[in-house]
Amino acid sequence: MQKRTDLIVCEECDAVYQRMALGEREIARCLRCGAELERDTGRRLQHLLPLTIGALILFVIANTFPIVTIELQGLSSQTTLIGAVVALTRDGMSEVALLVLATTLLFPLIQLGVLLYLLLPGARDTRPPGFVLLLRLMQAARPWGMIEVFMLGVLVALIKLSNMAEVIPGPALWSFGGLTVLLTVVVSFNPRYLWHVWEQQQAEQYGDKEAGA
Amino acid sequence: MTPPDHSDDKPALLQPRRARQRNWLPSLVWLIPIVAAIVGLTLVAKILVERGPMVTVSFRSAEGLEAGKTKVKYKDVEIGQVQSLKLAADRSHVLVGIQLNQDASGFNAEDTRFWVVRPRIAASGISGLGTLLSGAYIGADAGASEETKKNFVGLEQPPIVTRDASGRQFVLHTDDLGSLDIGSPIFYRRIKVGQVVAYDLDSDGRGVTLRIFVNAPYDKFVTQASRFWHASGFDMELNASGFKLHTQALSTVVLGGIAFRDRDEERVSPPAKEGSEYPLVEDESTAMKEPDGVPQTALLYFDQSLRGLQPGATVDFRGVVLGEVKSIGVEYDKTRGEFRMPVLVQIYPDRLGRRFHEETGEQRRSNAQVLRMLVKRGMRAQLRNGNLLTGQLYVAIDFFPKAKPAQIDPDKVPLELPTIPGSLDELQQQLSDIAGKLSKVPFDEIGRDLQTTLKTLNKTLTTAEQTAARINNDIAPEMQAAMKDARKTLNAAERTLSDDAPLQSDIRQTMQELSKAAASIRILTDYLQQHPESLIRGKQEP
Amino acid sequence: MSVFTRQAAPHVPDLTQEPDEDLPVQDAASLGVIGCHHCGTVWEGAQPHQACGVCHAPLHVRKIDSLTRTWALLIAACIMYIPANMMPVMVTSTLFDEQRDTILSGVIYFWTSGEWGLALVVFVASFLVPLFKLVALGILVFSARRRSRWRRLQRAKLYRVVEAIGRWSMLDVFVVSVLTGLVKIHGFANIHAGIGIAAFGAVVVLTMLASLAFDPRLIWDERPTDPAADVSSEPLPEPASPHDNANKPQETA
Repeated sequence: MQKRTDLIVCEECDAVYQRMALGEREIARCLRCGAELERDTGRRLQHLLPLTIGALILFVIANTFPIVTIELQGLSSQTTLIGAVVALTRDGMSEVALLVLATTLLFPLIQLGVLLYLLLPGARDTRPPGFVLLLRLMQAARPWGMIEVFMLGVLVALIKLSNMAEVIPGPALWSFGGLTVLLTVVVSFNPRYLWHVWEQQQAEQYGDKEAGA
Repeated sequence: MTPPDHSDDKPALLQPRRARQRNWLPSLVWLIPIVAAIVGLTLVAKILVERGPMVTVSFRSAEGLEAGKTKVKYKDVEIGQVQSLKLAADRSHVLVGIQLNQDASGFNAEDTRFWVVRPRIAASGISGLGTLLSGAYIGADAGASEETKKNFVGLEQPPIVTRDASGRQFVLHTDDLGSLDIGSPIFYRRIKVGQVVAYDLDSDGRGVTLRIFVNAPYDKFVTQASRFWHASGFDMELNASGFKLHTQALSTVVLGGIAFRDRDEERVSPPAKEGSEYPLVEDESTAMKEPDGVPQTALLYFDQSLRGLQPGATVDFRGVVLGEVKSIGVEYDKTRGEFRMPVLVQIYPDRLGRRFHEETGEQRRSNAQVLRMLVKRGMRAQLRNGNLLTGQLYVAIDFFPKAKPAQIDPDKVPLELPTIPGSLDELQQQLSDIAGKLSKVPFDEIGRDLQTTLKTLNKTLTTAEQTAARINNDIAPEMQAAMKDARKTLNAAERTLSDDAPLQSDIRQTMQELSKAAASIRILTDYLQQHPESLIRGKQEP
Repeated sequence: MSVFTRQAAPHVPDLTQEPDEDLPVQDAASLGVIGCHHCGTVWEGAQPHQACGVCHAPLHVRKIDSLTRTWALLIAACIMYIPANMMPVMVTSTLFDEQRDTILSGVIYFWTSGEWGLALVVFVASFLVPLFKLVALGILVFSARRRSRWRRLQRAKLYRVVEAIGRWSMLDVFVVSVLTGLVKIHGFANIHAGIGIAAFGAVVVLTMLASLAFDPRLIWDERPTDPAADVSSEPLPEPASPHDNANKPQETA
């Protein structure tokens, strides 16, 4: 088989187009179905690393501290995300617990972790080991990270509880809020562009090498 | 390969170009993780700073405790939290790791006490009900010591008095605990003023010593003249004045309690010192009566059978109950080569009279002198019949001027009193006298006399026989004749009296007349009864 | 900067041009090229299931057994939808009573207590969205099977919407999880999850898997209009069996 770098195929309607160079911040769209074919990633890649690190830090904070404390008649109770998962398991709902754990902890963590690993400065020069597998792993995990939904769920739960008890937000709540924002930005970066970026760099290097050799 | 040259054209461009500064944007983005890191570190630092010391308390069980949730409270203020629950290496207890707050750092003083507050039903009441809802928590009582400790042994029960409670402790002695327990209430005038803090069996096993705590300000009512009694349940009194029922409080019916009062309410006695000791008696009347004073134990040796004497039998002095028998036994006296019955009695010499007590100064020694004097006068102990039917015995102390002189050693412990044989012995004595008398009777002689008499009797009988024979032969025919005549007379009489005899029929007729007359009279009286007016008006025509 | 160069085009479409579904385009299948689903690289003359040279993902013309899988997952989701709505998702036990809430009763609770915004949010996220997904996917599968030309653009947009909102129906699951973890005051108030939420979670997962299984290119597949075209001599691969491709003669080397 032969690589056709001059072509691009619409993912949604299978239409074939000539691949064009994109100007800064330009998006190429399919003429037939309007799906996004390609976009210029520009500086976003540079932003990605600090955002990922920030997201990871917030992730740790969000899971270490209690999300919220409720007080009722002098009795208080609080929970973290893991605490909620444990409570679900104890109640016998271990499948739901697993689902919650996966979508709010596991998959986002995979995404952030892989990104961090791939974006760390050292990884720029040579293709880090497991690049292929990890990138595919990240792409598979991408639709399953649901922290923003979790955030909304927490808010709904808090409003529901505020009717019957005193609700005191914990540090993890703000942390989750920030994490939601950061993750939205991070996740919106389609990892497939990493392939192209890497290829681009490879070509540059290759070109340099050739030039140098 | 043929490039598909009629492939359709390019995608549409959507966004206009925008020029932007490049340089500061990357650094601006880096602000985000930096801020996040700062926030995280601040939170962690805050938690670390707010932490106080960590202590480990060991309990027998971790029931109701949860790591990371259970709080430690003092006066209902949270001072710390349980961090971990671990089994001790020898698995005999649980090690509870507690993280105290910064402002509670005084709680790791050496004498701080920790206990688990759970719902508890104890003699002092039900405590910790709130924990049914909120879950158990650990209570703490701050210590005052300067030394700090890291490992504590937790109390299994909440302490009855916390260090900050004011009041005084006293000591009570009693025979048995009854229904008392730690936390049993102490009442003064039916108000709970304190509780039992601890109890313990005496080292000689003969009684129980209790420690009680009376709260301030009621502790000043415990005076030197106070009397303590079991106020458990009902107090019934049945005596000449009738039937009386006392109770302290309903709770004491179930839980038991102690009440106290001054013996003599007229006199104001000084408050007792902390740690003063008092006896605890069975009921109020026992407590309020004249003091028995210190009981004296005495040993009595009896040579006779103790059958019918039981521990608890009274020791009586001319009708006044002086004390009671504590125990009886058997002893073999080697020197004399016979068995002796030692009887241990407890007497209260003070019962002999208050004056008696007052006149003697220091109790025991003067008692001894008095005793010596009394024994000289003939005071002895004697077993007497309490109840002839059951054969129960009691010990009577009385004066027997005719008794054999005896010595008493007042310093011997237990004091040994001289005894004198009991009334049963007398009976036996009498019997033996009778037996002696009987033995003196000359039975032989009597026997000989009897024989003689019998012989005479025999002779008399023979004579009588002869007489009877003579009667038969001589007198009988004459008698026969006399009898014939008698018969004739009887026949004549018979004729006269027979049915047909005229005499008889006359008599009969007369009888008939009589009965007729009687019948008429009866009719008349009947009529008169029905018509009494006929007496006046005469017989009416029907 | 990119290595590609601008090429002059026969005609430049208008910048603001709306997608035109009837635009005659060549699709990859007819041209014998496959675009890698992971990395986007276009390969010519690839055998199905051959690994992409860049990312080593298997290449296929269409997702394998797309309609069958989508259909199966959809039916399973429909089945689970019933207990998800009928069984209680949350059981609140206070000192006095025990209250069982289904998804709808929770919405009604919010509505009656004046929280209209929350009622709407929960209603949309937990009731409408899953229902919408089921219906939408049903339409997509049904129309793709028949290879209808009806409103292809709308259907393509429908698919995008389904993909985008899929995750939001997990809202109620998270609400129940947080409440379960939080309200555990012994004896006083205690919330624990009901069976309904497990069923609901299953519905969400199944619909997400169904939408991932569905190949949107099937919306655009149709019978070839130009059988005499020299390039696309291979017949359109059946949606259910793209393996046939391997048996057809390759046009391009």
